[in-house]
Amino acid sequence: MESNRSSFVQLQVLTKRMVLRVIRRPLAELPNLIISAFFLFVYDGALGGVFGGTASGTPFDFANGNFINFILPVSIVSASLSGAASGIYLVEDIESGVFKRYQSMPISRWAIILAPMNVGAFRVLLQAGLILLIGKLIGADPVVGNVGFFIVLSLAFIWGMGFAGYSVAAGVKSGSSQGAQAATFLFFPAIFLAPTFVPREQLKGWLETAAAYNPTTYVIEGMRSVMVQGWELDILFRGYLAATSFAVITLTLAVISARKATEKA
Amino acid sequence: MLAVDVKNIKKTFVTKQETVEAVKDVSFQVEQGEIFGLLGPNGAGKSTTILMLTTLLSITKGEASILGLDIVTKDKEVREKIGVALQDTGIDNLLTGKELFFTTCRLWGYSKKDSEKRTIELLELVGLTEAADRRVKTYSGGMKRRLDLGLSLVHSPDILFLDEPTTGLDPGSRRVLWEEIKRLRDNGVTIILTTQYLEEADELADRLAIIDEGLVVAEGTSDELKASIGGDVITFSFKNDSDLKNAKNVLNDAIEDKDQLRITVENGAAKIPSFINDLNKNGIIVSSVSASKPTLDDVFLEVTGYRLEGSAGTDSSNELEEK
Ligand SMILES: Nc1ncnc2c1ncn2[C@@H]1O[C@H](COP(=O)(O)OP(=O)(O)OP(=O)(O)O)[C@@H](O)[C@H]1O
Ligand SMILES: [Mg+2]
Repeated sequence: MESNRSSFVQLQVLTKRMVLRVIRRPLAELPNLIISAFFLFVYDGALGGVFGGTASGTPFDFANGNFINFILPVSIVSASLSGAASGIYLVEDIESGVFKRYQSMPISRWAIILAPMNVGAFRVLLQAGLILLIGKLIGADPVVGNVGFFIVLSLAFIWGMGFAGYSVAAGVKSGSSQGAQAATFLFFPAIFLAPTFVPREQLKGWLETAAAYNPTTYVIEGMRSVMVQGWELDILFRGYLAATSFAVITLTLAVISARKATEKA
Repeated sequence: MLAVDVKNIKKTFVTKQETVEAVKDVSFQVEQGEIFGLLGPNGAGKSTTILMLTTLLSITKGEASILGLDIVTKDKEVREKIGVALQDTGIDNLLTGKELFFTTCRLWGYSKKDSEKRTIELLELVGLTEAADRRVKTYSGGMKRRLDLGLSLVHSPDILFLDEPTTGLDPGSRRVLWEEIKRLRDNGVTIILTTQYLEEADELADRLAIIDEGLVVAEGTSDELKASIGGDVITFSFKNDSDLKNAKNVLNDAIEDKDQLRITVENGAAKIPSFINDLNKNGIIVSSVSASKPTLDDVFLEVTGYRLEGSAGTDSSNELEEK
């Protein structure tokens, strides 16, 4: 039998195997999806309704008449946290010893690291896409037209890969899947220390300061610009810049830590 | 060419709390086509040795080669030649046995078609054809070990490393694996396996090394090791502790072992009457006595100064009547 090894095939095989793992425990996917949908329904119901009216300074006003447009980016950002699953997948394999087995075989180290990243990316797209769909069904309608959905999805994807990188780095560093999981929880505050429910101008004091330093802010604002305001290229640019910088930093960390993990002790 | 040539390898782990010399000085040679056993208790350094030889752990000092390839400088080539089944089996519980074989074949570089063929072959070889479509989660311990063995054979390695392949298995499942391992050897595969079971080392290994606290304390075929003790082992037991104590003064060369005294002499059976005579003269009553050929158990006791746990008396004393 001919043996003809290619890193690309290995990546494909490892990704497929990981997809099978995800599909076979669908319950693990639910919490994040539910939290994201929760943002959409509950905040739309609570905030969109309570304040009501179109007077200046009420949600309806800054949402330009469509509160779902305004709150959808928050749901999407929370959905993109699902990218963090990458680190958990990788660490699970380290814990179970599967990682060691792969190391004992002539498998490209890149294939070992990229496979969970692929699946993380796939999850982000799937979850963010699902939330977008729900959003559209209950009335989201980007002012720039449907292309707005793609812009939101692309930002979510980059942002999600940032989480994927972060979780891989944190997971490998802590060496346990609980560690990877705990580390991702740190990011929930990041969603709230941002112009989550009102525009940034309406945040007060320390929260305003915190939001200014929180990259989540710019990602949300970038998404919101195409949903609510129209083509605001500088805001959009800052959104992409924040997401990309975050992703570049965490993916670099991930590569460094994964390289360490695949080295011999 | 030697299958495996290990020269004075050493492994020191440095952690924040302490420095552990897991392997202090291990050397051995394995000929092609033999089963070589590394026998030792928990913590002896067996797994650490295997991990170093399979290029998964760096060597602190010393050198080793596999089929003439240095394991440090030629690690990629070495990996092509070896199959590995580690002690902490990394098996993906959510996949089926068939999927696991297929995935592993693909990772080794076989085409889809060849992978399918090889999967069927290997499932058959390790007797998992019936369970092929079940998730590994539902496999018994013995099935998982056989799966693990099968996965290490995907690329038809020349040399196979098995770290405690039968630990935790019942005697029946253990025998099934032994037969499989022997069959592999008969097909020309060289096998290095670790075990903490004397019986396994005795039955399975063509040659073995006893490893204790990171050192090889004895090496040879099981018969050579037994012969090295010289003669037969006579075992005395007594009615009470004071008799035991007094007997120790009479039989100077005896070793105390779990309420018994053991003494190794040439031609054991013939010498029993005179020993008993001596003891009786000193007013010591012997409650039972037996002579037997030394077992691996005795060898272990001799070279390490203690018994491998759980093995005492299991396969040693053939009673006097049998002789
Ligand atoms: N990564 C590590 N860091 C520190 N100490 C280690 C490490 N791995 C092993 N050790 C120590 O090295 C010694 C030898 O361990 P090893 O796993 O090689 O033993 P073993 O003979 O395989 O034992 P067992 O039969 O229990 O599997 C032990 O004292 C163990 O605690
Ligand atoms: Mg071990």
